[in-house]
Amino acid sequence: MRIVISICGIWLFAQAGLAQESLHRQVDALILANAKGKTFSGSADDAEYLRRVYLDFAGRIPSATEARRFLDSKEVDRRTKLLDALLAGPEYAASMEGHFHVMLMERLGDHADWKKYLQRSFADNKPWDELVREILAAGPQEKAPGAAFFLSKRLENYGANPVDYPALTRDIGRLFLGKDFRCAQCHDHLTIKDYKQHDFQGLFVFVKNVSLSTAKTTTPGVTEKPTTAKIEFSSVFGGDKVQTGPRVPGLKEIAIPTLKKGEEYVEKPDVKQQKPGVLKFSTLAALSEQLPTPANQAFNRNIVNRLWFVLMGRGLVHPLDLDHGDNPPSHPEVLDLLAKEFVAHKYDIKWLVRELALTQTYQRSSQLPPLVKNAKPEEFRTALERRMSAEQLLRSMLQATGMTEVKAAKGVPTFDTMSPTFVKAFASEPREPEEEFSPTLKATLFLLNDKSVLSWLEAQPGNLLDRLGREIDNRKAVEELYLSVLTRLPGIDEAADAVRYLDERKGRRPVALRNLAWALFASTEFCVNH
Amino acid sequence: MNFKKLCTPLDHRISRRQWLGGVAGTTAGALGLCQPGLAQELRRRRKQVLFVWLEGGLSQLESWDPKPNTLFGGPFRAIPTTVPGIHISELWPRTAQQMRHLAVIRSLHTQDNNHSSGVGRIQRGDPANRGVTYPYFGSAVANLLGPGESGLPPYIWVKPGSGGFVTSDAGFLGPRYGALALGGGRAPENLLRADSVSEEDDRERLALRQLADRRYVQQRRTQGTEANSYVYDMAAQLQRHAHLFNSTTLPARDLERYGPSEFGRHMLLGRRLLEAGVTFVKVDSHGWDTHGDNFNGHSNAVPKIDQAFSAMMQDLADRSMLDNVLVVLMSEFGRTPRINGHIGRDHWAEGWSLVMAGSGIRRGVVVGRTNALGTFVEGDEHDIGHLFHTWFTALGINPSRTRYNNAGQPLPIAHEDMEPIRALLA
Repeated sequence: MRIVISICGIWLFAQAGLAQESLHRQVDALILANAKGKTFSGSADDAEYLRRVYLDFAGRIPSATEARRFLDSKEVDRRTKLLDALLAGPEYAASMEGHFHVMLMERLGDHADWKKYLQRSFADNKPWDELVREILAAGPQEKAPGAAFFLSKRLENYGANPVDYPALTRDIGRLFLGKDFRCAQCHDHLTIKDYKQHDFQGLFVFVKNVSLSTAKTTTPGVTEKPTTAKIEFSSVFGGDKVQTGPRVPGLKEIAIPTLKKGEEYVEKPDVKQQKPGVLKFSTLAALSEQLPTPANQAFNRNIVNRLWFVLMGRGLVHPLDLDHGDNPPSHPEVLDLLAKEFVAHKYDIKWLVRELALTQTYQRSSQLPPLVKNAKPEEFRTALERRMSAEQLLRSMLQATGMTEVKAAKGVPTFDTMSPTFVKAFASEPREPEEEFSPTLKATLFLLNDKSVLSWLEAQPGNLLDRLGREIDNRKAVEELYLSVLTRLPGIDEAADAVRYLDERKGRRPVALRNLAWALFASTEFCVNH
Repeated sequence: MNFKKLCTPLDHRISRRQWLGGVAGTTAGALGLCQPGLAQELRRRRKQVLFVWLEGGLSQLESWDPKPNTLFGGPFRAIPTTVPGIHISELWPRTAQQMRHLAVIRSLHTQDNNHSSGVGRIQRGDPANRGVTYPYFGSAVANLLGPGESGLPPYIWVKPGSGGFVTSDAGFLGPRYGALALGGGRAPENLLRADSVSEEDDRERLALRQLADRRYVQQRRTQGTEANSYVYDMAAQLQRHAHLFNSTTLPARDLERYGPSEFGRHMLLGRRLLEAGVTFVKVDSHGWDTHGDNFNGHSNAVPKIDQAFSAMMQDLADRSMLDNVLVVLMSEFGRTPRINGHIGRDHWAEGWSLVMAGSGIRRGVVVGRTNALGTFVEGDEHDIGHLFHTWFTALGINPSRTRYNNAGQPLPIAHEDMEPIRALLA
């Protein structure tokens, strides 16, 4: 009896302890338990951690000076201090905008107001539910200029192709609910029993009367016609006709109010004044009120899964937009816990990314454990190599080549001037998710021969090659090079090889230095977030 | 007989050669090609395609199905060709001399008469509505036949305007089956080594890169570095073939024969690419949209096509390449028999024609016919799906037994309810 009581006591104690345990510790415990005794990679060394955390929260690699400062630090809590400094730093908002722009727009297009809107939102640490509410309600323009871009870009038509409303419907399902209702447009999904035609059609009703506004605003806006009746559909495989009004999958259908013709508006649209009018019943308003709510489990699961993907390189649910009963998460308890806690913390994005970055899972090395040839990515026993976005590559190359330090009247590359070129070279085609490191011939030819990038590797006052050229000691030059480009010091063999390479080319040291630098920029180590 | 061995080699060859990009993405490939005879045949005599695309609509009445002296016939005469009984528009005198190689089909009735959506509908064929984007014909052939041993991308597109890597053509097959587009017939961007990098420097920097990757990958997963090495190998291969893309070195005599137009130069470039072993070469001509002034429009534009196309047919025949190269010349749709108020013809998908030749195609035949006024098809009508069946069959690919594998989802390569047009097949 006493034994039972004491076991219960331990259990209760453990439960109480768990409840107070920070989220990152709980996550690590669950990941560990799931591995059933398999070995894990050790913690990333300081240099690997430094590079990773800079890429994630500053959108670039650190400078050699920043790297030295951190690597020389002996403080026990230097990692947490650095993380907090970056989260509070001036580059956090832009780096988060980068993650979310790629995630939500999937390279469909770009707009300065949209980027500003996202940056301001992350700078203010706007809760995720509020952000989504603004995006789905397309603003309003006065309150959240730029937010409408998510919808308006998808409401454009190309040539004689009509506006692709089914694609917009799918994107809302995929990006905010983690569910791709693609095949359920015309019939219940054949292989995914959770995805019903009713779900697609219900979501479709919210957007079918929405269109691109003709009003002249800096960000293209959207306008909405009254929705007065349900839609009727039937499966292409036959069967009865069914009706649905607007309904978020998994939630109750919204009743469409009966309004007499001509009385649908609180304020009628005025074409001359370019006023869109105010509807008594707006499906967009209904969508933005219903979808991003704590009661909507799919909404909660989707965002924590996507943030997990952003920082860990793979979703717990994978692919990110196929959350359904027959495709369970790799770690269901982790997903549930993250979703629950994120809601409890009122969709506080900065809090969640901080907790994720504090996990051992995030801080593991990308080197496999000893004697292990390959670890399944979904086990999260070894850090995954993540794709760097075109924007991260550009910021990192400007930083590493030292072009950020070059002072000249004109012709100095900046992030803004070079961004389109890098997006063209490194981004995927529209709607092709950038989820894996996936080098292309186009990008390779760009790195090999593009004249602007090659010019960054010519000595210009203040840049990397200028610094290396003025350093007479080859060993020191190689150290500076490695620290600037790869955010680490060279290994013994690497240093020896590089120094020998330079020693043998005394007569043409500038090009030898350039060749060495180029090779590091073109290496896989530089091109991935490892 | 070891069937198992015969069923797989093509698949392997395709997956080893992931040309254009996105190496690590989802894998889509050909499931089929399992007839042992076919695999051997394909290896022995590689099939290739020349696809000449007139963007917009070529008028069937001003080309392959003339109706002189009828209500809608227009001002041009019909002329005899090298095949007794076959007449085509007088705008194509040189092609008429090549008719013994050509097959004409006059019974096309396709679905879409809209630009932009029409291009995709025709070149994709869209055999099944399964919520996926089908590949263009070029990407389909690149996937099904692979790049061969040429060391060149399987799908090259010579076009006016801008070039680049057009991965969207590949649809669900994934970016690696997209087109390498030579805009204005120019080499791909950044192909040529910059002047500031000497040959020696280039060798050294690539060796240093490889060394860096070898060190990095120790005790790491190998997928990333492998994918990266792969595209660097591809870049090197393409650079070795850079001379192919230099249109200033095209033979002067041939340039004269193909004509002084941009299209003539592009066709000659296309011939060079076919000779170098590229699986699928597409050559575009733009501006086929004569809603107004249709007759002057055609009499200006057609001679350029006539000259280059007939020279190409002659050259392919002289080089015995017609046994292996399938040639198709087509546009998005035909043009209305009715002549509108601007002396133009509008889009017409209900009864039009095209020509094809080469591998697996009967020579010197006409298939199908329209009525006396040329307004509608008489007898069997043929849709784009019939053409895809015919082309695949002509290339030795069985369209009813071959399936794409879209990450596990088997998809037909051509309309399941259609068949090849037997009368066109040799």
